[in-house]
Amino acid sequence: MRKAIRMMQFRRSMLAFLILLAAPSYAATPEFEIEIRNHLFLPDTLTIPAGVKVKLVIYNRDETPEEFESYELNREKVILGGRKAIVFVGPLAPGEYPFFGEFNPQTALGTILVVADANAAK
Amino acid sequence: MLLNSVVIILREVLEAALLMSVFLASARFLHTRNRWAIAALAVGAIGAVSYGFLLEPVSDLFDGVGQEVCNAILQYGAFVSLAAVAFHIPGRANILKSASTSIITLMALTVTLAITREGAEILVYVSGFWDVSDFFSAVALGSVIGACIGFSVGVLIYYLLLAQPVRWALPTSVVLIHLIAAGMASQATRLLIQADWIQAGSPVWDTSGILSEQSLTGQLLYALVGYEASPSGIEVLAYLGSMLIVATAFFAGKFRSQPAMDE
Repeated sequence: MRKAIRMMQFRRSMLAFLILLAAPSYAATPEFEIEIRNHLFLPDTLTIPAGVKVKLVIYNRDETPEEFESYELNREKVILGGRKAIVFVGPLAPGEYPFFGEFNPQTALGTILVVADANAAK
Repeated sequence: MLLNSVVIILREVLEAALLMSVFLASARFLHTRNRWAIAALAVGAIGAVSYGFLLEPVSDLFDGVGQEVCNAILQYGAFVSLAAVAFHIPGRANILKSASTSIITLMALTVTLAITREGAEILVYVSGFWDVSDFFSAVALGSVIGACIGFSVGVLIYYLLLAQPVRWALPTSVVLIHLIAAGMASQATRLLIQADWIQAGSPVWDTSGILSEQSLTGQLLYALVGYEASPSGIEVLAYLGSMLIVATAFFAGKFRSQPAMDE
């Protein structure tokens, strides 16, 4: 009898654990937009929440290609002229994560600011 | 503009140059002909031009992450091909005739895949400045300088490998092949994380304070062994797992070629 109860408790806790595991995938991935214009990132500082995966949509409004790159974020992606690109980042710890346009690294500079307070990231 | 071009082209050329120098040196130790290299360069160039032109439709595939997926396929492909090279090395070292053709074909395939990916990026970069005549000469000159430096590093590594004592030569190549393969597999995994096909946790460590990826040493190590300052757990797993696969392939090849030695 005791064994059966224990088994039930175990099953319940397993179920709770599985729900917990699955839960983040149901939450919508927050989306943020960045534009490239005249080899500049607009905005050049983007604030995003910590601890969650974020979808960046980067529009290249220039005619020339650009490469979105960040050593801190471990990301690099070529965006052809007049196109948009999608890059997923995170989950990240709070802090500053610089990024740049590899093809125009003198002007195309930006920072992703990761903050713990989710409300500030809007 | 000039310096940017030097750095960008150098970074792209370096990986292919290191791969080629390790292969060319290994081929020397294994007494195979080196004509495969020219074929690989030619086919790689065709691949790079094709991929460069197709980049726009490719980028739009899979909801906008086609570029990552395609690059990851090229990287995983190069990894598998490299593991197969490791499998054939012991056979060739024991003069198994059949291993010779396979090893040359596989080396050529690995180099072709690497050049296709890196060459396409060079092409996209340079073509972006095609119409901007003020910049184009600087970009063209910078690209040539960058390519030459990358090529020189490759030549240097090649002769360093050849200068070793004979009994170290093959083990060094095999170790380098393990490291390059693991670097490729972890890079491919990172691309799939970027595409959101693989879920990544937070970075397991951060060594950017000790060795920045932006530094020259960092860049060189990135090209050679896939150095990454703040990898996620899954990337580390991919790195170690792929190394294990190459090691298994190598020892399986060794085991297979054993009977040939007894005869």
